[in-house]
Amino acid sequence: MTEPYAVAVPKGYRVGVWEVREPLATGAFGSVYAARRTGESTELPRTAALKFLPTGTATPRRLTHLRELIEREIELYRRLKHPRLVRMYETLTVDDPDRPELDGATVLVLERAKGSLSALLAATPRPEAGPALLAQICEGLAQLHGAGWVHGDLKPANVLLMDDGSVRLADFNMAAELEGTHAYTPAFSTPDYTPPELLWTEIGERGRRIRPSADVWAFGVLAHLVLTDSFPLPGATPAARRDAAATYARGTDELRLSPELPDDWRRIISACLTRTHQDRVSGETLLRRVEAAAGAGHRAFRLPRLRPARHLRRTSLAAITTAAATALAALAYGISVWADGARGSGGSGSGASANVSAAAYGASELRTDRGIPPAYRLLIVETAHDCDQKDVTPVLIAAMLKVESDFDPDLADPANDEYGIARWTPRVLRWWMNEDGTPGETVPQPPFPPAESIPAMGRYLCWIAPRLHEDLPGDRRVLIATAYRRSYRTVNAAGGVPPDVRAYADRIAHYLKEYTPPDRNPP
Amino acid sequence: MYSIIVVPPPTTEDERDRSQIRLAPGERLTFGRSAPDNGLHIAHDGVSRRAGEITAQGAFWVLSNFSRAQTYVVENPEGAGEHVKVAPGRLDAPIPFEFSRIVLPAAGDLLPLQVWAPRHDYLSGSGGLDGATTAPAFSVDRTKRYFAVLAALCEPRLRGTPHAPLPTVDQVADRLRPTWPAASRTSVQWNIDYLAVKLRLKPGPESADTGPRLNGKKESLVSLALRFDLVREDDLGVLAGPPGRVTP
Repeated sequence: MTEPYAVAVPKGYRVGVWEVREPLATGAFGSVYAARRTGESTELPRTAALKFLPTGTATPRRLTHLRELIEREIELYRRLKHPRLVRMYETLTVDDPDRPELDGATVLVLERAKGSLSALLAATPRPEAGPALLAQICEGLAQLHGAGWVHGDLKPANVLLMDDGSVRLADFNMAAELEGTHAYTPAFSTPDYTPPELLWTEIGERGRRIRPSADVWAFGVLAHLVLTDSFPLPGATPAARRDAAATYARGTDELRLSPELPDDWRRIISACLTRTHQDRVSGETLLRRVEAAAGAGHRAFRLPRLRPARHLRRTSLAAITTAAATALAALAYGISVWADGARGSGGSGSGASANVSAAAYGASELRTDRGIPPAYRLLIVETAHDCDQKDVTPVLIAAMLKVESDFDPDLADPANDEYGIARWTPRVLRWWMNEDGTPGETVPQPPFPPAESIPAMGRYLCWIAPRLHEDLPGDRRVLIATAYRRSYRTVNAAGGVPPDVRAYADRIAHYLKEYTPPDRNPP
Repeated sequence: MYSIIVVPPPTTEDERDRSQIRLAPGERLTFGRSAPDNGLHIAHDGVSRRAGEITAQGAFWVLSNFSRAQTYVVENPEGAGEHVKVAPGRLDAPIPFEFSRIVLPAAGDLLPLQVWAPRHDYLSGSGGLDGATTAPAFSVDRTKRYFAVLAALCEPRLRGTPHAPLPTVDQVADRLRPTWPAASRTSVQWNIDYLAVKLRLKPGPESADTGPRLNGKKESLVSLALRFDLVREDDLGVLAGPPGRVTP
């Protein structure tokens, strides 16, 4: 960090409600500072990372491309909200004529991370948690690709590690939305992570064409680096490695991966680092294989599907950490290096106040006085928010959990082969257990803790909702719930609630009413 | 993925059609009089059967001199006489220039064989060289003539309105003459062609066409250069003298 900061911001400087603290990093296009919130806010977290981009008027006409890069990044943050992508809370513009070097600078207020993967690798080469980290990075890529974007600059410095041990992708200056099979990104790249077809590629006036397979190549390089502390292509300098990549891609040389790599990872990395983009493994298949390889202890489920940034908008940080820790207590899973920190910050000291907040979580959408266990409110509300179907609401999920199991996380009904708070049948759960929609490698074994059961239920409901015929009579939410019991085809065929689940449907309808806040009940 | 371009010496008939040979890192090209033995056939009696070999090494290239008696001189045309001598029998001599002209002495004639190394890297702004820094894909040498040509092309738009008409090749030559007395229509055009290679400009749909397409090439170069800030207002200093002669 010896290089001068692209934007120098003095400690204590105020932007909006934020007070700038120490510098965190500087990149090719701007500088990132830690910041703490000074005013009261129910929507913003206490700390954040402020990314200052020099868009000020002191530099007329010099930064055309920079402005474009920033717009790209903001656009992506606005449009994509996924658990593996860093969140943006707001954007600000510095208005300070007394400081011409800062005046007009764009400030992105981003989720504060604990550190970056490059810092972790510098401190601990070949981290024990490597495979688990890679699985999450791969998830992030799958989420981006799934939403129709290409990252374009995946590398350790752009992978952030959060306090809870989870991973988020950041730095979307190069990201681009796909137009058909490819996207146009600005002509910038990081040599060691650039696929051979983009080395010295032709560049049109819109920038260079890039495909999702470019991210897959970068992932292969990154995985090799994380697992073996070396680059996959030989050479002491980036220029030598770039030539090695070019030689390899021409077919005059073979890929020689580190002998330290376990076999499954060797196969995965080889599938990423193919000579041509056509042969490269797709993001989806890659994710499946990476998850299988990260396997042992990873089981079907990865880090919990919690969405800190969105929670933060609604409640305080302490409440979240604690609520998250509570909800996750059942998951005997954590990335060894990081999980301790997460547990520490969510310690019992703040328990009392945190429980109060957890009990009121999502109060505007879900009544707080009808016996819904506070520990599950966050999961219920956030699971519903993850689904873009208007009928899949916190109230629906809460009513279903009530009727299915009376919120009993330990429910076991071997006679009907149903387990857990959402009464999942293992062979059905298999299809909904993964957040990205891929089925599990094997049929999962109970117990199914709420942090797994509830999001899986949300995904299934979200899939059902658009498949029910438009013209079915009755409350859509009740129909969705009965389809969860009996499949959407049965409900469509029956033209409404099938007779054998009428009692179930009545109970759902009862709790839908019960849990809806008074001002939300339909007239 | 090529990094080196070899432009064969002109022959009398096909002056215009000088096909370029592109080499990727690690690729070799032998040249000499004997057609079957060489990648590049030089039909001149004064040239050895196997005269030499050019090998692309990453962004630069190396030259082997296979002749028994003749020393080859590799000149930097923009280097004010800067050159490298490659003695007979010398193998793999590294050549550091971005443009070079190998002068092959051939029975009284001097045959120029041009070799371009458009992938030479130059330090850009704040970026380091560690391979982990996001770097622009373009790397231009601001001391080269091609940069002056690019600056002259961009000047009206940097100083005036965004849609100012581009200067013609002749206007560019006039604009550059105070600092580059030898500037001519041909030399400016050569630099424009080189810039299109250097900046990896995507050839237009009718790229085979020459004459009338030149305007499109200039237009693309300028829009790329301005879009990626290859030329900024303060770079116009390379065009010594006041502006004004460019405005139509």
